[in-house]
Amino acid sequence: MPRLHLGDWVDSGVDWLVAHLSWLFDAIRAVVEGMYDGIDAVLTAPEPLLLAGILAVAAWWLRGLVAGVLAFAGFALVDSLDLWDRAMSTLALVLVATVIALVISVPLGIWAARSKAVSAAVRPVLDLLQTMPSMVLLIPAILFFGLGTAAGVIATLIFALAPGVRMTELGIRQVDAELVEAAEAFGTTPRDILLRVQLPLALPTIMAGVNQVIMLGLSMVVIAGMVGTGGLGGAVNEAIGRLDIGFGFEAGVGIVVLAIYLDRMTGALGTQLSPLGRRAAAKARTTAWSYRLRPQVAVVGVVVLALVAGGMGIFGSSAGTSQAAATNVGKGKEIKIGYIPWDEGIASTFLWKELLEERGFKVTTTQYAAGPLYTGLATGQLDFQTDSWLPTTHAEYWTKYGKQLDDLGKWYGPTSLELSVPSYVKDVNSLADLKDHASEFGGKIVGIEPSAGMMGLLKKKVLKEYGLEGTYDVVDGSTPAMLAELKRAYARKQPVVVTLWSPHWAYSDYGLKKLKDPRGAWGKGDGVHTLARKGFASDNPRAAQWLKDFSMTEKQLTGLEAQIQKSGKGREQDAVRTWLKQHPGLVDTWAPVAREGAKSRAAG
Amino acid sequence: MSSRLQAEHLFKVFGRRPDQAVERLRQGADREELRADGTTAAVIDASFAVEAGEIFVVMGLSGSGKSTLLRMLNGLLEPTAGQVRFDGQDLTALTDRALRELRSKKISMVFQHFALFPHRSVRDNAAYGLDVQGVPRAERERRADEALALCGLAGWEDSWPDELSGGMQQRVGLARALATDADLLLMDESFSALDPLIRRDMQDQLLELQKTLKKTIVVITHDLNEAMRLGDRIAVMRDGRIVQTGTAEDILLRPANDYVASFIQDVDRSRVLTAAAVMDTEVSGDEANCGCETATPDTPFAELCAISARLTHPVAVLDADRALVGVVPRQRLVGFLGDEQGEPAACENGGKVIARA
Repeated sequence: MPRLHLGDWVDSGVDWLVAHLSWLFDAIRAVVEGMYDGIDAVLTAPEPLLLAGILAVAAWWLRGLVAGVLAFAGFALVDSLDLWDRAMSTLALVLVATVIALVISVPLGIWAARSKAVSAAVRPVLDLLQTMPSMVLLIPAILFFGLGTAAGVIATLIFALAPGVRMTELGIRQVDAELVEAAEAFGTTPRDILLRVQLPLALPTIMAGVNQVIMLGLSMVVIAGMVGTGGLGGAVNEAIGRLDIGFGFEAGVGIVVLAIYLDRMTGALGTQLSPLGRRAAAKARTTAWSYRLRPQVAVVGVVVLALVAGGMGIFGSSAGTSQAAATNVGKGKEIKIGYIPWDEGIASTFLWKELLEERGFKVTTTQYAAGPLYTGLATGQLDFQTDSWLPTTHAEYWTKYGKQLDDLGKWYGPTSLELSVPSYVKDVNSLADLKDHASEFGGKIVGIEPSAGMMGLLKKKVLKEYGLEGTYDVVDGSTPAMLAELKRAYARKQPVVVTLWSPHWAYSDYGLKKLKDPRGAWGKGDGVHTLARKGFASDNPRAAQWLKDFSMTEKQLTGLEAQIQKSGKGREQDAVRTWLKQHPGLVDTWAPVAREGAKSRAAG
Repeated sequence: MSSRLQAEHLFKVFGRRPDQAVERLRQGADREELRADGTTAAVIDASFAVEAGEIFVVMGLSGSGKSTLLRMLNGLLEPTAGQVRFDGQDLTALTDRALRELRSKKISMVFQHFALFPHRSVRDNAAYGLDVQGVPRAERERRADEALALCGLAGWEDSWPDELSGGMQQRVGLARALATDADLLLMDESFSALDPLIRRDMQDQLLELQKTLKKTIVVITHDLNEAMRLGDRIAVMRDGRIVQTGTAEDILLRPANDYVASFIQDVDRSRVLTAAAVMDTEVSGDEANCGCETATPDTPFAELCAISARLTHPVAVLDADRALVGVVPRQRLVGFLGDEQGEPAACENGGKVIARA
């Protein structure tokens, strides 16, 4: 068989699109982000509990008293978990994606219902959109729309489109042919047949589709979190990245609350919208539990709460903090830092957030998966990131995007890659010892993401060097999975071999042995580099210079990492502040403010 | 050309190359030959005329093409060949818009499974056709209520279709068709989904309404009894062709072929036949002189039997001018019921009664 270069074609197709249709993507991006910002602003403006009240009144109206009370309880729970802003951001994202998905899918479904050819053409496209692994679509989405909301919305949208189209088509096709014929027989125009017969009768099915669109959208937010949409999806990703089961669960509960609320509300809305459903609901017996607000009362309630919310939003706005003029280098200039949820990445990112804010910059930090992070940096969506392992681990990304990036140099190193075993495994001290203990370890080496540079190195070089091919299988997985497996085995004192690297907090949490590499198969260690987008250095010469001069010792880094671990999730910057207080002078060392006569020193 | 509705050499072929198929059908090919090529000839060379105020019944078994034929009469289906003339206007030549206009004002339809809109109330269903025409709400509701009252549904206007029984639902369907004041009413197996008693009621009601409304009605049915009850004239369809057109008595007494003959075997003749069909027209002239009960040519068969049972001699049939047009001997009545029209043969016993029932 000749090799089809499908991948190359896709590559060049994507390149062509980026080169020639960027105006279109920018326009879409502007629309999507505008919608998102608008909805998010509305959702986050009022006090959380007030908005919870508004949502509860809506539930009371649509479904009854119990639903209202439960809705309020659910949203209060989200607020008490400190997830309110994230939840609202996720809600806004899902709403935007849903609205756009419906705007596209309902007309498409109608068209498909009326034309067999369209139906036949649309179906495989929907299959593709729905089953293509989402990460495969996510990266091009970043290339087209940049990191952030737009890409997240588009990715969600693509995934959620299919049920909207399918259910609309099905709903319309299900309408009794005799009814359509009856309408025709009385001289109804095709447009009126659609609007007055088919759509009203298809409405319950279409609403089931809307419901599915929302549910699939919510299930995509975690993946969308990888491209920096933040929200609950971002929280889940952060938690997974750090094996923080508790926080992950909390964020997951937040998603569940949203999902249940939206599911029940759209279901009830479907009944309210369709005349048949309204009639059935009116017939049902009314009890105190299922007593529903009259629409007028509900509207009045929502309006009153919304007015209160608006008022408090106005009076509750807080004043910004002012900066001392001497140290105010940034003058409010915005800098965007992206990071991978690796510990040294988090530590250095929040360290620099604190340092730059001290110096008057406005800093936003967003977490990404490695691929989107590099893509975002290369396309100029982000200003810099501090956690690039070069030349080995991130070699692939460097080859692909190196030309569009500035290397601001290494701030920590050397790092090392290794296989490690718990220290209770007695006789295994070196890679060479592994061969004879294969059965002890079940012939398994617990790996991380197959895309990681060290996995390639391990499979292609290290195993061969020590003759472990055939005796060991490298288990592909993910870093959290590897850490979870290590934790499990460690608790039971079972032998286990994991792929690890230094620095890593696992070495301080567990008693681990790095297996010696007498043949040097892992190569020399990487340095942890700071990479900036092209042009960052000329836009922010001072900050770039600080970053170039930046370096940390292992003691400093592990100390800071430990402080962050101790402080817990969401308090990274507090931890950085505490740590900086314990180490006075570091701020001025790492971000020297140009005083009279000090300029030459900074330049030199 | 004075007929209200005229079908001229209508063909409807589904499948590929319908025009070629029509050509072959004209040359005498039958349905089966075409089916082998994957085309279906639903209606083949159908011609008939319906006069104003007439109930015309198209009768046939399922698959005979009668429903397809009906849908060509209001342009829901476009004939593959042939013409439909309604008030002298060729439907096949109309634009879609003009055709819709015609359907909304002049032709209405009643469906087999009622086809009521479940999301509209009974009143709104009945008003549907007027709604399409753009009649203002107040007027269309008034006219809808009138049509509902006409169909015996006064008081049910605010109900919903699924709250009504099948018979009542079909009355709504009928009211919907009558509300537009259309001249032509097409009824597609409208009563066949109802149970027999209700069906009888509905048939009676339709006949009753027709006495005052005088619509032109085309009824499709597979039920020969219904065809005989309702139809001023009946067309019998088989395999897409009309095999016979005539009055109920024509079909009953003079079936055009074995198919029609086998069809009418189960018909309850006593309901269809009238004195005119049964009477012996070779009259001598003195049967009407005795002052006993007489019949008219329209007297139904059953009533004729009752009269006959009360008389000792044949029943005299008098026309509107009380002139004798025929006589009905009792033996003839019995012969018609038993489908025996020959003369009785003499018995070996010389006519003595040897057996008692």
